[in-house]
Amino acid sequence: MSSRSFRSVFMVASCAGAALGCYLVSLRVASERAALEDVETRIVLAQRDMRVLQTEIGTRGRLSQLERWNAGAFALSAPAADQFLKGSFELARLAQPDHKIDFQAPVVLASAPAPQKTSPMGAPETDDSGASAAANPNSLLHEASLKTETREVPARQIVALPPTTPKSADKPATTAKPAQSKSVEKPGLAAAQSGKKLAAQELPRQASGAARPAIKKSVDKATVVTAKALTKPVRIAKADPLAPLEAKHSGNSKGSTADR
Amino acid sequence: MNAPSPALVAPRPERLRLVGQRRQTLAVMYQRLMFGMLVYAGIVAIIALRILYLAAFGDHAGRKEGLTALIPERGDIVDRNGDPLARTIDAWTIAIHPNRVIGDKPGLARKLAELMPELSQEQYFALLRSGKPFFYLRRRASPGLVEAVNALGEPGLAIQREPDRLYPQTTLAAHVLGYTDIDGHGVAGMERAFDKYLSDAATRGQPLTLSIDSRVQQALEHELMTAMTKFSAIGAAAVVMDVHTGEVLAMTSLPEVNPNAPGAATPDARFNRATQGVYELGSTFKPFTVAMAMDSGVIRSFGQQYNCPNVLPVYGHLVHDTHPFGRTCTVAEIMEESSNIGTAQIADQLGTERQKMWLGKMGFTGPVPIELKERGRALTPGSRWGPFETMTVGFGQGIAVAPLQLAMGYATLFNGGVYHSPTLIKIDRNHPLSRGKRVFSEETSYRMRALLRLVVMKGTGKKADAPGYRVGGKTGTAQKLINGRYSQTINITSFAGVFPMDEPRYVIVAMLDEPKATPDTYGFTTAGWNVAPVVSGTISRIAPMLGVRPDMNLEPDMGQVLPFVHDAKQDAKKD
Repeated sequence: MSSRSFRSVFMVASCAGAALGCYLVSLRVASERAALEDVETRIVLAQRDMRVLQTEIGTRGRLSQLERWNAGAFALSAPAADQFLKGSFELARLAQPDHKIDFQAPVVLASAPAPQKTSPMGAPETDDSGASAAANPNSLLHEASLKTETREVPARQIVALPPTTPKSADKPATTAKPAQSKSVEKPGLAAAQSGKKLAAQELPRQASGAARPAIKKSVDKATVVTAKALTKPVRIAKADPLAPLEAKHSGNSKGSTADR
Repeated sequence: MNAPSPALVAPRPERLRLVGQRRQTLAVMYQRLMFGMLVYAGIVAIIALRILYLAAFGDHAGRKEGLTALIPERGDIVDRNGDPLARTIDAWTIAIHPNRVIGDKPGLARKLAELMPELSQEQYFALLRSGKPFFYLRRRASPGLVEAVNALGEPGLAIQREPDRLYPQTTLAAHVLGYTDIDGHGVAGMERAFDKYLSDAATRGQPLTLSIDSRVQQALEHELMTAMTKFSAIGAAAVVMDVHTGEVLAMTSLPEVNPNAPGAATPDARFNRATQGVYELGSTFKPFTVAMAMDSGVIRSFGQQYNCPNVLPVYGHLVHDTHPFGRTCTVAEIMEESSNIGTAQIADQLGTERQKMWLGKMGFTGPVPIELKERGRALTPGSRWGPFETMTVGFGQGIAVAPLQLAMGYATLFNGGVYHSPTLIKIDRNHPLSRGKRVFSEETSYRMRALLRLVVMKGTGKKADAPGYRVGGKTGTAQKLINGRYSQTINITSFAGVFPMDEPRYVIVAMLDEPKATPDTYGFTTAGWNVAPVVSGTISRIAPMLGVRPDMNLEPDMGQVLPFVHDAKQDAKKD
């Protein structure tokens, strides 16, 4: 009897509960939606503010104003045709040192061919260093290269070997110098690029900088003593475009840090 | 047993009728009651359903309307890179309701005159006493002024925010953009041409993307302005156009107008010389004559010879040259030295009918085909188009076209010979490239490259060369028609150039109206001296931006023309 009479009450209660549950869900959804709308409204307001600020910045920095500033203060001009480079090879070419006549170099060169010419004649000669050049330049070459390698920076010389040309066998330090100054002089885009590249490669060079004078010394000695073969490795190290020489000139080094 | 009388058993007929009536009435009453209840229940059910519906899907009480998307009052106009050229902002407006002013009117008038001195104290006082309902005191007021006016504390003053059109780049591309009136309707330029698009709520959310490149526009305007000032010209116009699509990358007309304050500009400044003005552009027409002749088979080689005396008498007139040859000359030389006499003979061989047909195909005989409403219509000899007129049109006199039309003609000639109508809307997915019409053959288009490069390398357009960018083009100096007579001293100079000439991509046309001679030009007012440097300066600025790589070693196939040019200097050396 009781269960039967209460069944309707339970029914009503469960119906009410279900309805309430449904309503709560929809209420929850509505409140979530309201929160979302709030966020959306805030986004729109932020976008509007951004738009206002962008408009203001755009108006203050309008092109005609930039042109006026450029005419008055910066004086920048469009890059000329020769300031555009076709690729990394042209960029690398900018780092090629100028050939400067060094008065030690001609001596070396002159002495180098002389023994070769004389040797076929069959008359042994002595050069100014006192060693007999005629005998066998090849063996001398081997010995000299071995020496330099053991003393300093072996890896570098090995890498640098291919590009050597006998004529430019100058002092390494002096040859490298012009390269740096050249790239700095280049105005505009090319300069910026090459300057950056050079600057980036400066560190390793400085690290090996201490070794360099020693190399030079040994090279000088070798050239004096021996024939042309020796000069090859030395020259390579000098012409290396990866080692622009700022450290030796305080002015240049300052410039390079500024680039960085 | 008396049987009941039937009268006793059977009710009386009137009573029977009464019972039946009552039942009927009751039934009707029930029916009505039921109906009323159903109606009531229906209404309740509708309300309940509506409430349920609102609870489930309806908006809540705190909902904010109209902020779900950022749709400006009027659409933005942006350039091809998306930089805004026109925008609508909220500006402050100061107004007054004179009949609601309650304070001391003379005092208020004095203070208003101090703050906004465009009217005097008396005028403000008269305005306050006029009793009219509403006056604008200042539109687009600065925030500082608004604060000061607000501090007066007068309830009759109305300070509101109103949408206002702002052109962030001020005068840049003003003639392309146009401007709006005070109610925000476009009255000039693209604002006018696309007024519906910009103001329609459905479309104004998307900005209108122009084909203009603001950097190119700035470079062009600056270079042209410099030249115009230097040579004291009364006006100037220039156009840069993409050869392959007809998109106008930059178009300017000087003197310029500031669309933020269009009322301050003179009617002359509002006139768009690039599309509205039509001018006899002179020698810049000669390449068309040569191309027509080549396509028609009149000219077979650039080495074809013409007799070029110092003066050519034709049809009762005399044709002169600025650099007379006095000998036979080749087509290449005619173009190099811009000979009227030579071109007149070519045009004569071509004939009137063919010339008309070609010019029609190139769009030189009708209105300027562009979206702007400010556009002119080319002037041709019309019914007087006889053999002599054919000759003069051949070298660019007697026909007046807008600078934009000239650019269009050069684009057609150098993109392989296909005409695309010029457009100020960026070509993209929403605005695809229209199908072109073939005008010149591809071979003619190819061979003309060398001819125009020759003009810049060795001829009258040397000063237009931008090293490395292979500029080719043609100068044009036309005498201005003043009171029906050609002036001997007043010129319109123009230059139409194309670059890079080995693979043409852009055409640039510049024009100066009445340039004066300066010491720099040794007294000359011809195009080679004043407008050609504008082209050179502009190209060296814009070409890198447009992705044209400078190369000193590239040239078009000059072997087609160089053998036919008589080089006086080399002869002198040989002698």
